[in-house]
Amino acid sequence: MFQRYTCIEEGVEMGKSQVKNNIRKLRFNHDEMTQEQLAKKVGVTRQTIIAMESEKYAPSLELAFRIARIFGVPLEEVFYYTPEDE
Amino acid sequence: MSYQEKNITVSLFSHLLIGVYYLANLLPMIQSSELVAGRLYALWSIVIAVNIVVNIIASILTNILLTIVEAIRSRKYEDPQFIEDERDKLIGLKGIRSTYFTFSIGVLLSVFAFIYGQPPLMMISLIVLFSILAEIIGDVSKIYLYRRGG
Repeated sequence: MFQRYTCIEEGVEMGKSQVKNNIRKLRFNHDEMTQEQLAKKVGVTRQTIIAMESEKYAPSLELAFRIARIFGVPLEEVFYYTPEDE
Repeated sequence: MSYQEKNITVSLFSHLLIGVYYLANLLPMIQSSELVAGRLYALWSIVIAVNIVVNIIASILTNILLTIVEAIRSRKYEDPQFIEDERDKLIGLKGIRSTYFTFSIGVLLSVFAFIYGQPPLMMISLIVLFSILAEIIGDVSKIYLYRRGG
């Protein structure tokens, strides 16, 4: 009767995020790019890259696109969503 | 610890000092039941003015000190890049939400104190006290969010 809705605020999750990513792997594959270098390229602080890599922070859609663009891959190769029940 | 975290820590300590100064002056007045309007007006003015000035000066001093420390550490001068990204803005907004929430509860409690027979001077003293407390809680919540999400 009642449909269950899950609300995901963009760029809000601060616990373990359900939005996972391959940033660490992609950095390694791109001449072992450092977190600092990636942070400068996408215009955020190194702490934000650390938070994203440890999946404590899910970025906004705009930042996600900027990161994917830096690595030259589609968005879904960088970020993927894992529902809680999986 | 990022630049923002250092800045918030400085802000927290300055708010704690202001809070201690305010309580150290207010509590003796309450204990002796001598809420003199003139002395209280002076105390409120000092606390509010110092709060504003300290917020500005602490921010500028933190910027200068961090630039010097960074230049000494890296042994070269670079234009400091204290960028504020989306995560910083988000944490800032959450901190402000905690501040306003605490302050709202404080104002409500102060009004209740007035309704239940406390003098108006006590009500305003409590509102000033809760404004300092709200700033402290806002800073603590920001530091907590930085630790949790970083």
